[in-house]
Amino acid sequence: MTTIDTSIYSAVTEAIRGEAQRTLSEGLVTAIVGYAAARRKGSAQPIVITNAADSEKLIFSPACVNNLTVYLTKAKKEIPKTGRVGIVVKGCDLKALVGLMGESQLKRDEIYIIGVPCAGVLASTVQPSQELTSDTIASKCRECGEFLPQGCDFVPGVEIPAAPELEKNYSAEIARLEALTPAERWAYWREQFSKCVKCYACRQVCPFCFCEQCLCDRNKPQMVESTPRPAGNTAWHIVRAMHLAGRCAGCAECERVCPMDIPLNLLNRKMARELKELYAYEASFQVNDKGPLATYDEKDDQSFIK
Amino acid sequence: MHSEKQKHAFEPRIIAFVCTWCTYAGADLAGTSRMQYPSNVRLLKFPCTGRIDPVFILKAFQQGADGVLVSGCHPGDCHYIAGNFHARRRFAAFRKLLEFIGVDLDRLQFSWVSAAEGGKWVEMVTELTERVRAMGPMREFRELALEEQWSGALDAPELKEAYNSI
Amino acid sequence: MSRIGVFVCHCGENISRTVDVERVALQAGKLPGVAFATDYKYMCSDPGQNLLKRAIAEQRLSHVVVAACSPRMHERTFRKAVESAGLNPFLCEMANIREHCSWVHEDKEEATVKAIEIVGMMVERVKKNRVLPNITVPVTTRSLVIGGGIAGIQAALDIADAGHEVVLVEREPSIGGHMAQLSETFPTLDCSQCIMTPKMVDVANHPRITLHTYSEIEQMDGYIGNFQVTVRKKARSVDEAKCTGCGICMTKCPQKKIPNAFDCNLGMRPAIYVPFPQAVPNTPVIDRENCTRFKTGKCGVCQKVCGPGAVDYEQEDRLIVEPVGAIVVATGFKLYTIEEKPKGSPIKGYGEFGHGKIPDVIDGMTFERLASASGPTGGKILRPSDGREPKQIVFIQCIGSRAREKGISYCSKVCCMYTAKHTMLYHHKVHDGQAYVFFMDARTPGKGYDEFWRRSIEEEEAVYIRGMVSRLYQKGDKIVVMGSDIAVGVQVEIEADMVVLATAVQPQVGADTLAQKLGISYDKYHFYSEAHAKLRPVECATAGIYLAGACQGPKDIPDTVSQASAAAAKVMTLFARDKLEREPIVATVKEAGCVGCFYCKKVCPYGAVEEKEIRDRQGNLVKVVAYVNPGVCGGCGTCQATCPSKSVELDGYTDEQIVAMIEAL
Repeated sequence: MTTIDTSIYSAVTEAIRGEAQRTLSEGLVTAIVGYAAARRKGSAQPIVITNAADSEKLIFSPACVNNLTVYLTKAKKEIPKTGRVGIVVKGCDLKALVGLMGESQLKRDEIYIIGVPCAGVLASTVQPSQELTSDTIASKCRECGEFLPQGCDFVPGVEIPAAPELEKNYSAEIARLEALTPAERWAYWREQFSKCVKCYACRQVCPFCFCEQCLCDRNKPQMVESTPRPAGNTAWHIVRAMHLAGRCAGCAECERVCPMDIPLNLLNRKMARELKELYAYEASFQVNDKGPLATYDEKDDQSFIK
Repeated sequence: MHSEKQKHAFEPRIIAFVCTWCTYAGADLAGTSRMQYPSNVRLLKFPCTGRIDPVFILKAFQQGADGVLVSGCHPGDCHYIAGNFHARRRFAAFRKLLEFIGVDLDRLQFSWVSAAEGGKWVEMVTELTERVRAMGPMREFRELALEEQWSGALDAPELKEAYNSI
Repeated sequence: MSRIGVFVCHCGENISRTVDVERVALQAGKLPGVAFATDYKYMCSDPGQNLLKRAIAEQRLSHVVVAACSPRMHERTFRKAVESAGLNPFLCEMANIREHCSWVHEDKEEATVKAIEIVGMMVERVKKNRVLPNITVPVTTRSLVIGGGIAGIQAALDIADAGHEVVLVEREPSIGGHMAQLSETFPTLDCSQCIMTPKMVDVANHPRITLHTYSEIEQMDGYIGNFQVTVRKKARSVDEAKCTGCGICMTKCPQKKIPNAFDCNLGMRPAIYVPFPQAVPNTPVIDRENCTRFKTGKCGVCQKVCGPGAVDYEQEDRLIVEPVGAIVVATGFKLYTIEEKPKGSPIKGYGEFGHGKIPDVIDGMTFERLASASGPTGGKILRPSDGREPKQIVFIQCIGSRAREKGISYCSKVCCMYTAKHTMLYHHKVHDGQAYVFFMDARTPGKGYDEFWRRSIEEEEAVYIRGMVSRLYQKGDKIVVMGSDIAVGVQVEIEADMVVLATAVQPQVGADTLAQKLGISYDKYHFYSEAHAKLRPVECATAGIYLAGACQGPKDIPDTVSQASAAAAKVMTLFARDKLEREPIVATVKEAGCVGCFYCKKVCPYGAVEEKEIRDRQGNLVKVVAYVNPGVCGGCGTCQATCPSKSVELDGYTDEQIVAMIEAL
């Protein structure tokens, strides 16, 4: 077990507070979506502040796992309707934000991006008060190569300490599953999907599930069975993974919020890997006009077509 | 002249999603040329492979298809300029997903069959039908549909114990 | 509740031989929603159609399924019949039990079961069919032609002669294009200007043609039948309305040493000029880059001498919006030169042939100007370097063309023929001269073409050497051309006085930017792409835009004129009615569900998807949604398969219809 150096987080917290204070008092933004300390020791929760005086409430800690971008789209109830909105984002969150801009859901000039240099956050399965170590770090952070967000309006100027080499859970699990026979894989996923209670928390938390009416809620025709039975569950997760292919930014919120611990991000990571291999596409900090499945190249691979 | 038809224990259900301009016309040509192929296939006509939603493939398997064929115009021949190019990417991704979930990709065939390729159509249908026949029925989705809401395996020890204690 | 009628056709014995049609009809009759089911010998015959029509009336049918041959064969027939019986034609579907069933299976039981299932699928589908009214789009019966070369002129004249207004836009100060530069034309050797200038005058005098020369396309909006094209009329500095074309300004202009591009820079022109004497319109233009007045502010001679007071130094570019229903693109070609190698272009120069370095190495168009009676030498073939008559002349073909390693793999098509013509013109003008041609293959398909080429060898004494030139260099006042004659297998060395290069035909400069403005596609060389190489060779994939001439690919004059007339015919077909009617198989957006991610717009091959603002009663923006323009939509449905929430739907192929079919299995 290796301890991960998160000493920069206090300086980051200070810088976020300073920037929030400045932008709110100067009227540059009307609100800031960030993290604040929650009741349980060491825990954090999302907060929307509209008052410069509240800037002191903002924090950044290993418990700041949420992807806040969802508060800019479908969960924007508490966000003022007018003015520019500031948001605190980690690298992974920024990729989602940028993805939403590419899908015309957000306009760059309407948001003020406060990027966070990030050494990693805690896995959802551990106590928020725990120390960030090679054991407690979230799986998504193990495979993250973008500690410093780019293209933001503000990024605290701190030196990110060198990260230790961590075991890549997703890659290992994908490789393990790929090595199985189709029947064994089916058995694995059948077991996983059978746990699903169709609470749709994964859909609720996903920044990219912004449809007003989900395809899976339609009944004319019913494309996907809506009852929480194995057939409908499987169809739902396949459709979800397909709809996120080429869009998912890898924030892993779906997996974090799943009450049944279904490894949902595994599907998304698998699709991301395939699309990278096929079309050299990866979620990034650059606004992409067209995702990999909204465009084509005449020379695309077609070895699977007879 | 009729050859003695071999009877099989299992006749697979094959659903073909085809575009109207190339493959549907290719299948028509196979007909006008009186070529013979297994009667297991049912065709669904689309304007373009670009219209074919991956959900339809999923739906077909859920409805009891043992094999699915998706076929359209060769690259560059699309009546709608680029529909088949979009479809190609979509299905390249979708088949990878199905494979990862545990669907045997031998049950899912993609092809380009032009309006002039009646022979290729026959070949595609025959090949897929025979391959799937050898594989046996597609049980995966059907079993899911039969499963009850209970989210664990039906023979789970807890369940058995609970049952015995009644 | 649906009252579906199912009609099973025997097709003589074509279906009934392997399919038990009576059983199919019997089974179909038991399906929920089916009110009537029968079988008949020939459904497509008059009695068959009457049976169908009568049943619709008597049985009050709401939908119809005809189980017969392929819909590609008779869907139109039965939909028409259904329509005449008072039902919407899109409430009729065909179940293909012939091509896809009776003809491809031998076992009667198997075929019958399959036929029953096919009919079952179509019954479920037709239940979900909706009434689709035909779509009509208003058409502005005015057209725009871009490019005033022979292609544009021909198209404009044809359309205008048919009674429709035409706006002709030309980038240069005069129409005429490359054809006006040519001396004679193959294979008849008639004088190009003699056949071209009357057409130019016709354009100028035509009551239904509006001519914008020295103008370019700024912007295009709209769609088939309803385009709005903004034309930038560049400042000519001469008022076209006032100018009488007397030409005194040109004779008095003190600046007279500007190379004339029309003469391939061999001749000179003043700063206020018309490119050539027969220019249409005969209104001069001031070349502001070279005019002393514009450079230093000190001159103004032309304004002083102009009687009608037409010279206007203050004139500015004007933007004119032209509403048109159709567009013909005829922007033509340019010849490949090393000087004009564009930045980032994959095409490499031909430095080894000395073009641009050795003054007496010229291209084919320069030779045309030398040979032209109205050219800078009055039709005498003279060397640009010293004005001497060349006694030995070498023509080299395929310069740039068919050279994959140089970036152009295509054949420029016209060079073989014009080189043969050049050797003849040369022989006619320099009787004691000798012409040599280095060539790879002689490509002479076309009426009278091969005979013409043979004549250049057999009667006009041109020496054809099969092989490419390996080296070419200046030696004294000669140009040494070294090459191999692969037919004989010997090295050849010729001391030439002049070398003419048959350089590749390329699309005009800026062809790509124009294409982007118009929303049409182009290939890697920037030639415009037709909708279908064989069957729709003059239409763009973008509805309402047509192609004519060399902008689509290298072409000679007869081909260009044919294509221009074909494009004009397409425009006239469109204009034959003031409303455009089309099949209602188009995508529509369900605005309530649309969240405006515009994936549909990203994948639409037709550019049919627009952004539409939804506002509340106070005028506040609620959201931006997609809107599919039914006039532009091609009906492929790629948008629907891509739409995450299925808020865009292709009529005729809705999810409901397709899922109903899958569920029927």
